[in-house]
Amino acid sequence: QAQKTNPSAKIAAGAVVCVESEIRGDVTIGPRTVVHPKARIIAEAGPIIIGEGNLIEEQALIINSYPENIMPDTEGVEPKSMTIGINNVFEVGCVSQALQIGDNNVIESKADLGRNVVLTSGCIVGACCQVNTCEVIPENTVIYGSNSMRRLQTERPQPQTLQLDFLMKILPNYHHMKKAVKVTSTPVRNQAVTH
Amino acid sequence: MSQRWVELRRREMASLLQPERVLYLVHGEKKIRSPLSQLYFCRYCSELRSLECVSHEVDSHYCPSCLENMPSAEAKLKKNRCANCFDCPCCMHTLSTRATNIPAPLPDDPTKTAMKKAYYLACGFCRWTSRDVGMADKSVASGGWQEPENPHTQRINKLIEYYQQLAQREKLERDRKKLARRRPFMPLAFSEKYGLGTRLQRTRPGAPITSLAGLSLKEGEDQKEINIEPAQALDEVEPLPEDCYTRPINLPEGTTLRQRLLQPDFQPAGASQLHPKHKHLLIKRSLRCRKCEHNLSKPEFNPTSIKFKIQLVAVSYIPEVRIMSIPNLRFQKESQVLLTLTNPVENITHVTLVACEEGDPEDINSTAKVMVPIKELVLAGKDAAAEYDELAEPQDFQDDPDVVAFRKSNKIGFFIKVVPQREGLGDVTVSFKIRHDFRNLAAPIRPSEEGDASTEAIWLTHHVELNLGPLAP
Repeated sequence: QAQKTNPSAKIAAGAVVCVESEIRGDVTIGPRTVVHPKARIIAEAGPIIIGEGNLIEEQALIINSYPENIMPDTEGVEPKSMTIGINNVFEVGCVSQALQIGDNNVIESKADLGRNVVLTSGCIVGACCQVNTCEVIPENTVIYGSNSMRRLQTERPQPQTLQLDFLMKILPNYHHMKKAVKVTSTPVRNQAVTH
Repeated sequence: MSQRWVELRRREMASLLQPERVLYLVHGEKKIRSPLSQLYFCRYCSELRSLECVSHEVDSHYCPSCLENMPSAEAKLKKNRCANCFDCPCCMHTLSTRATNIPAPLPDDPTKTAMKKAYYLACGFCRWTSRDVGMADKSVASGGWQEPENPHTQRINKLIEYYQQLAQREKLERDRKKLARRRPFMPLAFSEKYGLGTRLQRTRPGAPITSLAGLSLKEGEDQKEINIEPAQALDEVEPLPEDCYTRPINLPEGTTLRQRLLQPDFQPAGASQLHPKHKHLLIKRSLRCRKCEHNLSKPEFNPTSIKFKIQLVAVSYIPEVRIMSIPNLRFQKESQVLLTLTNPVENITHVTLVACEEGDPEDINSTAKVMVPIKELVLAGKDAAAEYDELAEPQDFQDDPDVVAFRKSNKIGFFIKVVPQREGLGDVTVSFKIRHDFRNLAAPIRPSEEGDASTEAIWLTHHVELNLGPLAP
């Protein structure tokens, strides 16, 4: 199966990224991160840096897109980079455009995060909740319900280590993986390709 | 503007099968217009019944999450709450029990620790856990969770007892007065016998309870007098905190009105005091026709079963009209609307449609004139085995192609002509009467003189209203 070559995607060793996922643009993926097939990570208006231990499930969309009122060809628009911390979970079908996401967050199925939201740590955005305000969500917040009610929980969600280990073992049995591309400082004639 | 209309039309076509498009009129105490799927048919009275003209009776209580049946007496004792299941105080979802392993010292050897299971309650929807309010983890999976005790329980119970006694005393006095008045007219024994039936006595709301059975010969017995202290009015009220107006509000910390009022005992203002409550029980109810006292709907006793012991729903007796397609409707222009009629019974049904006359008191909603087919429509019986029977000859009904569009087993499609009479916004509604024959299988077969054993058909008429949507722009 021909691999879609994406020369600017930097996949660290130890990350499990399926070939059927769509990664476009300048994307860095940390080790121990699992990207399921049909997940989409699109860096249009700037690079995306994803930390380690993240779980990005099917049909999740992480996109660094241009704000709505700016055309892609406008001059003088600085590319803002999107950072995603460690141990986050992006469940099936969620859409995340938030530029800053901390650690240990869970974004449940079909949730929608706007560009100006800043998730700190331990937050849970419930299923089908839309958060497109311009604010910093405090730590350990749970957003749930059809009215997107909020409450604080006393403990942060546990990192999905068991799930991650299981997936890292099982996914390569059934899917082809994108090869890890190590970021090297010295240029060599062949691109350094390591598994 | 036309794009929006195209979108509206598309949505409208998808919604032609919505039940609220076709309404049947029910003659009861109130004239109710309701889709056929929500109506019942009393085959002893041969009339349509809606939920408002039947009496509802509680059949059984059950818990919606653990599906445990509970006899009514036990339910009343437990205040209609399940013993095992809890509701999340935050989002009212059902709580589930989760287990964690915690190291705990072994009872034999305090220095060594072993993994013991600890259970806590957690909500899958809003991620509330019992640890949020400080409830300790329990070592048993179920039965360890207690609701907090209401500090006013004793006072409330005492008040209830006192008022119950007072009410009984007042009832006795009232009955005694009534009896004293009635004695010249009728002896005591007769008035009970010729009084109204107990069921109707019970279901009449607001009527005074006239049963004289409460009048017992035990009046002389001394009932224990219960005294209560009157409530004390306090002059001093706790003052508001000083920073009441200046302190910034922390929304996630406070409780919403709904969360607060679901716990009427405590009504906590802070989210950290929201304790889980036991889950409310649901009931299965049976419906009874008010005129002939026959059961119209009786569910099965088992909570897991959705079937009915008695199910006299209207869709299995009355032919159902459905809208199939609507052309563009224009003001004062005639258009043809395609409707379908489905026959729910197994014998052939003859249906005649009659347009409403001028000044018909039931015809209050129609905004268009309608021309219905004059001829009688014949519907084939519902034959469940028809699709497997390949050798069956298709029945020849000789349909008029101007009237009948198609015929398919027990369903036909037919045309009506509609002329909208009202311009502007608002839906086009038409109404007409359906007259069909009904064979009552419930009535006892009377041996007729000719020795004819077939049941006689009676003709029923229903008033039907259709909502055809807005006019085309």
